[in-house]
Amino acid sequence: MERSPVAFDQNFSGAAGDFAALLRHKGLLAPAAANPLPQAGTPEKTWQPTEATTILAFKFSGGVLVAGDRRATAGNTVVYDRADKVLEIDRHSIMAIAGVPATAWEMARVLEHSFQYFRRTQLQEMSVDGKVRALSKLLRDNFGFVMQGVGVVVPIFATYDSYPKPETRLYFYDAMGAQFEVTDYAATGSGSPAVRGILYYENNWGAKPLKELGEDESVSIALRALDTAAESDTSTGGVDRGGKIYPLIKIVSREGITTLPESKIAAVFKETVA
Amino acid sequence: MIEEPYRWVEAIANRREYIEAQLAPGSPIAALGYRDGILFLTVGQTRQKIFEIYDRIAMGTIGHPGDIERLRMAAIELASTEGFTRSATDVSLRRLVHYSLSPVMKSAFEQIYGPPYLARMLFAEVGDRAEEDLFLRVEYDGEIAANGATYAQARRDFAALSGTQQSRGLMEAFLATQHASDANLESALNSALDAWSVGHMTLQTSDAKEPPERSAVRKHRQEQLANAGIEAAVLERDAGRAIRYRSWSDNELRPLIRD
Repeated sequence: MERSPVAFDQNFSGAAGDFAALLRHKGLLAPAAANPLPQAGTPEKTWQPTEATTILAFKFSGGVLVAGDRRATAGNTVVYDRADKVLEIDRHSIMAIAGVPATAWEMARVLEHSFQYFRRTQLQEMSVDGKVRALSKLLRDNFGFVMQGVGVVVPIFATYDSYPKPETRLYFYDAMGAQFEVTDYAATGSGSPAVRGILYYENNWGAKPLKELGEDESVSIALRALDTAAESDTSTGGVDRGGKIYPLIKIVSREGITTLPESKIAAVFKETVA
Repeated sequence: MIEEPYRWVEAIANRREYIEAQLAPGSPIAALGYRDGILFLTVGQTRQKIFEIYDRIAMGTIGHPGDIERLRMAAIELASTEGFTRSATDVSLRRLVHYSLSPVMKSAFEQIYGPPYLARMLFAEVGDRAEEDLFLRVEYDGEIAANGATYAQARRDFAALSGTQQSRGLMEAFLATQHASDANLESALNSALDAWSVGHMTLQTSDAKEPPERSAVRKHRQEQLANAGIEAAVLERDAGRAIRYRSWSDNELRPLIRD
């Protein structure tokens, strides 16, 4: 008889605190995909990244602001206009995703449980470096699937670190799992070139550098950037003026994560963007 | 010789006697449902005895550290994989204990060529309302006791764990008269400290029928707290957050003690 995957298993020790390893041991998570071998005789296919969305994050005076549009697409079709791409992983960490939602949401779930599992089994919080590496490893394990043409995910990770120095920290990743820490801003997804241009411009020649912006000013810039991205990128929803669907915006600070209410985003939008 | 039924019963009885003797010095743990959640408390430990298991579940234990560790890991693994594959609301203490831990502990106890678990555990799961709080005590032989109403007792909003059955019984008798489920944290803390003292005082005596006098309890408590630390944690009822476990340090709790 096949054992239930959630049955008591005395042969696995959680002493290492590695939740992904536990899931694989129980057959609840796909094994790391092997990179496909190039096949002789078939014409070489170039790999096309399909991160159809726009997400952005930047540091401002009140922490890190993370914003994402709400559109999910499949090829030329809009399949969903209320997708949540800015995901809370724990009390101080946000993962924002561009890429294939199925893989990204699965990664977010694994990550969320990994951090809790580590804290509960090891009786200490995982370090920020450990958390950043955990996501990197999930991306690396997924890369075989990316090369097969499915499941590319390119996330941004924002968190608050209390040790050794209390500060917010912001990272973006590539599809292979390399992490890049940034000091000011990050953007990924198909609409990101436009957003990166805007954030670079604002940071250097805007009224003030991004770091010194207040909350309302930051929300305004995030909305303008997403709206600009949506102007030329069909995969980015921007702001749906007719359907009153606004981007999702969350802020990470010392106090934890704040999700801005839609009414507030709508007010800033009406005043400074529309 | 063990194949003979009588020998097997005798071996089990010996084993029970041995385990009870091993667990007998174990310092008590009190768990009290109060207005804002569930409070776990013990005093003067060299190693941690109260643990977070999952979003709404915590555990207090007495026993051998190696066995406690294996059971703790197993409980966290089971709850985490269940929460991952289904959802956090599908993780239930009742199922965790009845279907997973108890059968394993029973068979380890009765397979007399293998080692039993030298541990007894007290689990609690915080509900959205106080009436939904669940307390489950699991013994080394897989026996389970819950806080629900039975023929012999009304539903209880507290539970206790101690080195001896007698000491535990006296803690429960004490809490039945002293603890109110709508108490605030301060009252619950003081009741829990008193209950711990009752348990600690009666670990050695084998003939006490009633909890000790109130004045004696207070005196014992003061003496012990002068030299030992408080270990405490709460499961908060607040529905605004998924993770309800929060540990309280000795320093945070000292100002709330009423002498």
